[in-house]
Amino acid sequence: MSDWVEVASVGDVAEGELRSYTVLDRAVAVANVEGDLHAFEDTCTHQGCSLSEGDLDGTIVECPCHGGRFDVTTGEAVGGPPVDPVDVLDVREEEGSLQIRIRVDE
Amino acid sequence: MDVVVVGGGLAAASTIGTLRGEGFDGRLVLIGEESLPPYERPPLSKEYLRGEDAELRLVRPPDWYADNGVETRFGVRAERLLAREREIRLQGGERIGFDAAVIATGSRPRRPPIPGLELDGVFDLRSARDADRLRAAAARASSAVLVGMGFIGAEVAASFRQMGLDVTVVEAFATPLERVLGPVLGGAIGALHRDHGVEMVFGEVAERFEGVDRFEALVTSGGRRIEGDLAVVGIGVEPASEVAGPDLGTEGGIPVDAALATAVPGVYAIGDVALHDHPVFGPVRVEHFDKAIKQGETVARTLLGRRQVFDDAHWFWSDQYDSQIQMSGFATEWDDMVVRGSIRERSFAAFLLKDGVLRSTFTMNWKLDCRRSMPLIEAQARPDPRALADPDVDLRRLHPPKG
Repeated sequence: MSDWVEVASVGDVAEGELRSYTVLDRAVAVANVEGDLHAFEDTCTHQGCSLSEGDLDGTIVECPCHGGRFDVTTGEAVGGPPVDPVDVLDVREEEGSLQIRIRVDE
Repeated sequence: MDVVVVGGGLAAASTIGTLRGEGFDGRLVLIGEESLPPYERPPLSKEYLRGEDAELRLVRPPDWYADNGVETRFGVRAERLLAREREIRLQGGERIGFDAAVIATGSRPRRPPIPGLELDGVFDLRSARDADRLRAAAARASSAVLVGMGFIGAEVAASFRQMGLDVTVVEAFATPLERVLGPVLGGAIGALHRDHGVEMVFGEVAERFEGVDRFEALVTSGGRRIEGDLAVVGIGVEPASEVAGPDLGTEGGIPVDAALATAVPGVYAIGDVALHDHPVFGPVRVEHFDKAIKQGETVARTLLGRRQVFDDAHWFWSDQYDSQIQMSGFATEWDDMVVRGSIRERSFAAFLLKDGVLRSTFTMNWKLDCRRSMPLIEAQARPDPRALADPDVDLRRLHPPKG
């Protein structure tokens, strides 16, 4: 099953910015691309660096450690050392809060 | 179209990955002298050397090549590219025809004629096999003598200290990396190593390696005799350009134009072996990980019919102890250095300018600004030095408009 988890209040991620949240022990990054929110696993598939500490350019996030690039809308690795994608998660703003949907194993 | 990629490293892997990833469906052959599929070299002086990484980091899983229709010849040396016949002649005599060829044969450590260089216990470091041998020897050693303190020497020194070895380095210049970084930034690297207990002898070079059956001591040009259980020579690399032959290659690498093309139509050179006519820096041959990937991507797009000039500013990192070092751009000389942060506290960005133009950025434990400065370097921008010095100024605000 999966569950929406509240992580912050609405508007926490400004346009063009990245933020990181810990959701049930997972680091999840949220990017705001022209008003649309995109959530993805905040761990580079190359060497595990935090992608939310990198820069967001359009829909592309660039890892601050070794320059891996991912498309935040799909999680796909689009350049640099990483080959594997990062997981993308559902994110929404509802009832005044920023929420991320996390799969919960029973 | 038949494409042959010569060289089994990162640049070759990037070319092939981009070609297949972006729809190339012709014949694709990869020839690598090493018996392993392409792997990442940066860990060889760091996590892999220290044994923290047990396995090599392969660029792509071993099955990927066959699964993606790539014919591989690993463990086979390409002897000569025959420009007129449009064939590559391999060791053993096989010939492979091509419509387009990409030479990505990389570089190898320089081995100047120093007496005793051939002794057991004197190492250089380039391949996974080199790293395996060095790792095994270091595990039995309590002291090491390093010749040269460029990036490889500095990284090996750091790894050896972390493994508990006593380390002495002999370096020809007055600081580590002085030729690349100048005395101030080189001095910052020197201070880092001194604080971690590395003994450094500057202004001297290796005269000879001594030992009966194996290495026992290095004698320097200053007459010092430095004993150790092993020695590592890290005094730079030379391009492995033999396959190009005398028509295409030079001692300084294989000359290519801004779009990575050699003088022979349909033949390209990328990575360490390429002497690239960079639109911003002029002819340069550099040995960076990121550049190897990006030049592979660029040449693949040219082969796919979307010719690209390579104008990336170059970027690399070096991890030493708990310090992360990054550098972008390329500068052989500069007349101004602007610092944001603190060199003394080892948390800073240093911007190197020539006639007001930003040429290169060096950072230590300072995230983001190295890469953020790259569009400025590519545009040969003249940023306001006060803005560069101010940590509160986001460099992206200084970027030229896109397009």
